[in-house]
Amino acid sequence: MSTSDDIGDFGGRNALVAEYVLGLLSTSEHQRVGALIENDQSLRNERDFWISRFASLNDEFAETAVPAHLYPRIAARVFGEQPKASFWENLMLWRSIAAGALAVAVAAVGFNLIQPVPDANALATQLVAALQGDGSNVQFVALYDGEGNVRLTSLSGDAVPGSDYELWAIQGGNAPVSMGVIPISERSTVTLSPEVMAGWGAGSVLAISLEPQGGSPTGAPTGPIVATGTATQI
Amino acid sequence: MSTVTTPSREIADLIGRCALRDRAAFRTLYDRTSAKLFGVTLRILKDRSEAEEAIQEVYVKIWQRADRYVAGNTSPISWLVAVARNHALDLLRARRPVSDDIDVALEVPDGGPSPERAAQDSEEKGQIEKCLGTLEPDRADAVRGAYLDGYSYEELASRYTVPLNTMRTWLRRSLIKLKECLTA
Repeated sequence: MSTSDDIGDFGGRNALVAEYVLGLLSTSEHQRVGALIENDQSLRNERDFWISRFASLNDEFAETAVPAHLYPRIAARVFGEQPKASFWENLMLWRSIAAGALAVAVAAVGFNLIQPVPDANALATQLVAALQGDGSNVQFVALYDGEGNVRLTSLSGDAVPGSDYELWAIQGGNAPVSMGVIPISERSTVTLSPEVMAGWGAGSVLAISLEPQGGSPTGAPTGPIVATGTATQI
Repeated sequence: MSTVTTPSREIADLIGRCALRDRAAFRTLYDRTSAKLFGVTLRILKDRSEAEEAIQEVYVKIWQRADRYVAGNTSPISWLVAVARNHALDLLRARRPVSDDIDVALEVPDGGPSPERAAQDSEEKGQIEKCLGTLEPDRADAVRGAYLDGYSYEELASRYTVPLNTMRTWLRRSLIKLKECLTA
């Protein structure tokens, strides 16, 4: 115990946490000591003490701009595989995005789709929605024909191997209701289920999520929301 | 804006919002702190492409671990630097040959510093410099080299041309002295 090199003495114990913070321990020791620290409040305090004290040296790390091409990669990794919890957050964000860029397309495609139905009464019950999302190239136009069917036209977006796009209806504060898996590269028609029909109308939100092949296994969106849009009267 | 001019409170707030999965907050946090953290990975790894790889991992970790940041124990920027520094050190450690484990027995210290005390880092800038100044210049430099450059005992021993065990003894004694000074 006469030398402070002896790790068993009081000072040695304290030096060990500092050595851990400095990163001087071998891999196995580092892991072992790290686990001990995690499980002991006074060791955590000791660790935080050293982190805080050495932090005064942080000014010596020279700030260096990160190349711009790295952020998109980070964003893809961080946001790419989102748990279910991200659904509402995405929706809240994207709901607020005006469908401006798509407005022209909606008018054109919508007009084109409704041409066979020039009846004014029918028009009053028809709804159109532009579906798009921030950070996604998936864009759809959805037209409700006033008779229980939504016709979907894909404007852009790529098929993802091993995954399917699934359409959801969100009405009021209710949980999203699946409207089934939809193709990305062709027109399709989805017939509204009684559950969707019950709350259907202007203001209903359509959303498209990327799901495992065959659709969400849970009945709720599990993958990223790639496009959303609000049904609007024509 | 750089970390120098971004108030600590704001960084803490951004980390908190990342814990709530706020993507816009993550982007802002990245814009405000990435130059600093890139400086950390660059200095320790001393290789630009490795540092670029590392900085990506670091921000993935920050997003994943934002909920573990406990305000008060360490300042928010110190915590972020620690995440970056630890990641870079893990990479260094992984590419080093396996060395003899130091035979260490970790016992609980009688009384660690309180979190309140640990949180005062911003107010006590310069204290570590003052205390490093009480060590012999070589030893102070070795401590700085371990912190700023991630040097191992082996690298420090060869830089100062002393046997490995001597370097360990130096460093441990220096750290004990440092602690006495910092808590005096």
